[in-house]
Order: sequence, then structure tokens, then C-alpha cells
Amino acid sequence: MPAPPAAAPPRLRAPVRRSVARFADVACPPQVRTERRTVQVLAEFELLLGALRPAARRAVGAAFVAVDQGARLYPPARGRRFARLGDQAAEAYLRALLSRRDGIGDLARRLKGLVVMCYYALPAVQEEIGYRPAPYIAAVSRRRLASYGPEIRAAEENR
Amino acid sequence: MTGPAGLTQQGDITGNLDVECGVVIVGSGAGGATMAAELAGAGIDVVMVEEGGYHPTGSFTADSTRALRTLYRDGGGGIAAGRPPVLFAEGRCVGGSTVVNGGMAWRAPPQVLDRWATRGVTGISERELEPYFARAEARLSVGLQDPETIGRDSRLLQAGAGAKGWAIVPNRRNQLHCAGSNNCNSGCPTGAKRSMLVTSVPRALSRGARLFADCRVERVTRSDGAVTGVRGRFVRPGGRPGPRLTVRARAVIVAGGAVQTPALLARSGLGSASGQLGRNLYLHPNAMVIAYFDEDVTGWHGVHQAFQIREFAAEGILLTANNLPPPMLAGVMPAHGRELGELMAGYNRIVTAGCVVTGSTAGRVRTVPGLGPLVFYQISDHDAACVLRGVTLTAEVLFAAGARRVLLPFDGAPAVHSMDELRGLLARPVAKRSLGLFTVHLMGTARMSDDPRRGVTSSVGEFHGVPGLFVTDASLFPGPIGINPMETIIALALRNAERLIERRGCHGV
Repeated sequence: MPAPPAAAPPRLRAPVRRSVARFADVACPPQVRTERRTVQVLAEFELLLGALRPAARRAVGAAFVAVDQGARLYPPARGRRFARLGDQAAEAYLRALLSRRDGIGDLARRLKGLVVMCYYALPAVQEEIGYRPAPYIAAVSRRRLASYGPEIRAAEENR
Repeated sequence: MTGPAGLTQQGDITGNLDVECGVVIVGSGAGGATMAAELAGAGIDVVMVEEGGYHPTGSFTADSTRALRTLYRDGGGGIAAGRPPVLFAEGRCVGGSTVVNGGMAWRAPPQVLDRWATRGVTGISERELEPYFARAEARLSVGLQDPETIGRDSRLLQAGAGAKGWAIVPNRRNQLHCAGSNNCNSGCPTGAKRSMLVTSVPRALSRGARLFADCRVERVTRSDGAVTGVRGRFVRPGGRPGPRLTVRARAVIVAGGAVQTPALLARSGLGSASGQLGRNLYLHPNAMVIAYFDEDVTGWHGVHQAFQIREFAAEGILLTANNLPPPMLAGVMPAHGRELGELMAGYNRIVTAGCVVTGSTAGRVRTVPGLGPLVFYQISDHDAACVLRGVTLTAEVLFAAGARRVLLPFDGAPAVHSMDELRGLLARPVAKRSLGLFTVHLMGTARMSDDPRRGVTSSVGEFHGVPGLFVTDASLFPGPIGINPMETIIALALRNAERLIERRGCHGV
């Protein structure tokens, strides 16, 4: 059965989008850039954000903006936002955030979790790591019916 | 998406709707759907209202992030605030959390029932609940897994337990010849898992019940102290508010789970005289260990959680192997960038296993207008020590099974390659706040007790002081159950439905 028609996911505000995109570039494996997957990660992220209640959606957006602007307080960034940092400085900033043992570190780890989750939701990425569940599910479903079909049908009828 | 007769979805509705019935049930999970099937079977006019959507078996795929968006509340990202926070997930769909749980079906242990009986709960001994457990098990085809569906990750856990001489049991699961597709948490694609979606919901509908999906109940309504029904609103795609639904009923049964049930009652102005509504939130904190093996494990082949290690059950610790799909695993991996890519490249050599701990402290659900329910839970030092012990034992069994490297659920912890390394690491104190915890078992926020000073509801789930209002979900539990709660929720719903049917004249239904 096809998936139900879904509402268009909420579009990210530009400052949030910039921060998430930079986050994805740094937090995901290098193939996110070499294979030009950042836009797909953003699309997946928008879908995920759409599943949250509005207050949570706003909070997540605000957290990404805070990470973006927070880079200005990171001395090696020399006053620049996260989205404007070069690769080395962005990596160092993210690493510094993730290694903190306080609420800011907790938040950064949660945001990182969300972004990399979106990356590993991409079918091409799953294929690369050898995760191909659809044919497997089809095969074991057939095996189930072949082995136990009459019993299953009888139970369904007696429901 | 079309559905069975008796189902109304948001797309079917263009204007506000008023309906009348004998009993309205809020929620269609283990408690709500069971109650609906029983009451409808007794000829009572039943309406179920479910906030989530109707997603039939044929729509379930291995797309785990789509499942998070469509079958779970808030994308599965609930957070119980505390140090550390505890992530939690609740189902939000027709069938509730039974659609996305692991399908473990265990009776409440007798010692737990005995403990509950000391808290003013009557009729809850092992002997008294036996017929209801038996009916639940028959209804849900509870049994052991067919051997051909047990995957390599579970076999490795079994081998590790064997090497250690630890007690391990095959899981009892609500399944009808489960195919072992390892898709429990994204919806069973074969319907083999006997969730409420494929059992009690259709049973209720075939007996005349009506089901309104995509509709969020905002309030329980009352007049002169007695309940008169519920008021809610259909939810349009994207969360936009749709038409209103007003259900007039002689009895209201709330079955939204341990977070949503107290929230709905509180925002309806139904504080309990005991002051216990929303309090006594118990969890089973889980922590996960990621182990790498030399061999190809392909943990997504075979059933989800075939075994439980029970060796440490007396300490409140269960161990099990539980494969995570790549997005969820990546989300908890302690790495980013190139290092994350290298760790995930070994996905098919990973066994994810974890410990489940019976939490001993209580948290709270508070309802804040505009924000919804907020959950607070502070794990105790004792429980944190149990989690640490559980993690150590999990690592131990995985090393015994041949794991080469283990990643631990502590912020900043290095990978360990042997038990000696792990012991060395744990020789220094591990900060409680660095634990990575999650749970899917929440209970206790509208606890039962026949003493209205101690409980929110009576022993059969009737809200103290509000005639015609009932609760039937894990909120009723007077303490942590220490095992997967679904079967006990169903057994209590069967028992409470029987009482309601016996007293239907009193409630005018």
C-alpha cells in the first residue's frame, strides 16, 4: 500500500537552515560533501522537524541558531558564525562543543544525533553500509506464509 | 487512506462533529483497545478517539525515520528532564505503542503483584489475575519464537550467557509465527506481531465500536461533578487544527499512557484528592552497549529480542540484544565526521545489547499550558549504580561471545577491548550525568489504590470522586513492574472491563 499523503514539511528558516547545513557538513562522514548529500540531509531534517509539536520545533530551531551564533564566542572563530567558519575551525568548534560535560554539551550531542540520524536515513547511505532490509523482509514474509499459511489464515478468521 | 468500517479519519471530516455513545475511550493502545473490544462485545455503544493516524499493516516498511514521524509522538524524541535526561518514546497511532513495541509479552511477576497489594490494591494477586493473563495470551497468540527466525545477534547473546553460565530465557512474544523481519519498532510489515492494530481494534470495530483517528482530545467534560464526555479536535496534516469533535458519553475511559493520561486529566481540571495525579512516574531506564565482532552478524536478520538474560533479575537488571536500524544507531554513536563513518561502516558486524533496570525512584508529569506535558525524572544514585552494573554485565556477556571492541553509553568513554580495560575504566567513578539513558516503559502517574488518600483510582481504575471516569493504561501501576508492561496492562483492562460491564446499570451504559 502506498504511503499516505503527507503534508509539506515546515520549511526551515534561513538561519536555521544555514546552521543545520554546516552541522551536517561537519558532523556527518565526509561523503556528505563528496556525494553532495547535504541537501538530502536537510530535506530529511525538515521532515523530522515536522513530526515535532510546535514548541519543540521552535526549540530545536533556536538551538541550531544558538550553536551558529555561539561560535562567535569561540576564540579561534574570531567572531564568525559557525556557518561561516572554514572546515578546520568548524570541526574544532563542534569538537569543543561535543566534548563539554555540561548542558551545552548535552544539547550539542542531541543536535548532532538528529543530524546524523537524517544522514543515515538516506537510502544510498544505508546501501553503502550493507543495510538492505526490503528484500530480506520480502523473503522472510514469503517463508512465513509458505511454512505456516493455513494456520495463520485460520487464526485470522477466528479473530 | 481508507480503513475498516467504523473508522473515521481527519480527511473524512469537513465540519465540526457531535456524537453520542455509552462509553468514550481516549486512546487505542493496549488498555484502550482491549477495553473497547470487551465493552463493544457486551453490546455497549463504544467510541474510541485516537490522536494518531490509522496506518495499516501494508503501509509498514523498514523506513525507520518515516516510522518515527508517523507512528510515534514527537518523532520518538520525548525527554524526561533530569541529570542525565532520559529519552523516551511513545507510540501515537491507531494501536498505540503496541504497534511499535518489541512484542514482549510477560506477566507481572508475583512478587510485584504482592508489593502492589500492600499499597491498597485489591484483587490483584497472581491467582486472581491468572484468568485475565490467560485470556490476554490467547487473544494475542503469546508464545515462543519459531527457531528459524532467531538471528545471529541473539544467538551470540545466548552463546555469551552460556559461556558465563548465566540464566537466559527465550522471550515470550505476542506473535503468530513471527517472520523475524526485525521491524517491530517501525510497525510489523507482516501483521505477525499481534498488536492492537490487528487484534483488539478490529475486534472492537467488528462489534460495532466507532473509532475517530487523527483527533486529539483536549478535555474531559463534566456536569454536576459527573463526566459527560470529551471534547477534541481533529489534527490536519502538519499538525494544523481541524474541525472539533464533541462526544457525549455516560462514561469516559482515559488510556493515553503514563504521560498523556495525567496531562489530559489535569488540563480537564480533574486533580485527584490524593494529590497523586501526575506523580509517581516510574521508568525502566535502559542503557545500550555497542559491540563489534569479527564475523558478519547482520543484526537486522532475525527477530527483535529473542532472549532475555535473567541471571540478575533479583537485582532488577535484565539484559537483551536489540538491533537498531542505522539512523537510530548513528544517532547514539559517540563520534562524528570521519570517525562516525568508520564506526558505521562496520554496521553488519555490530551487536547492540542493553540492560533494562527497574527504576526505584519516582518522577513527575506536569502540565504547562501551551507546552503540554513536561516530564521530570531524576535517576537515583542507587539506580545509576544498577545501570553501571548492567552495562558492565552486558559488556561481559558480549566479550564472552567474542566481541572485539565495545562502545559504552557514557559521554566521553573510550572504546574498550577487554574486560580488564573496562574494569580499569570503571575503577574511576563514572559521573551519573554522563550516562546515556532511554526508556519505553513509563508507568504510575494515576496509580490505583482503594484508599483515595493514596491513589488516583480505585483498584478497578475508577477515578476517585468522579463518577463515570476510568483510567486503563500503565498509569494505574502502583510501582515499577520490572518487566515489559503490555500484557499486564491488557490483563487489567480485561478485568476492569468485566467490572464495568457488571455495573453497567450504575453507569447508565
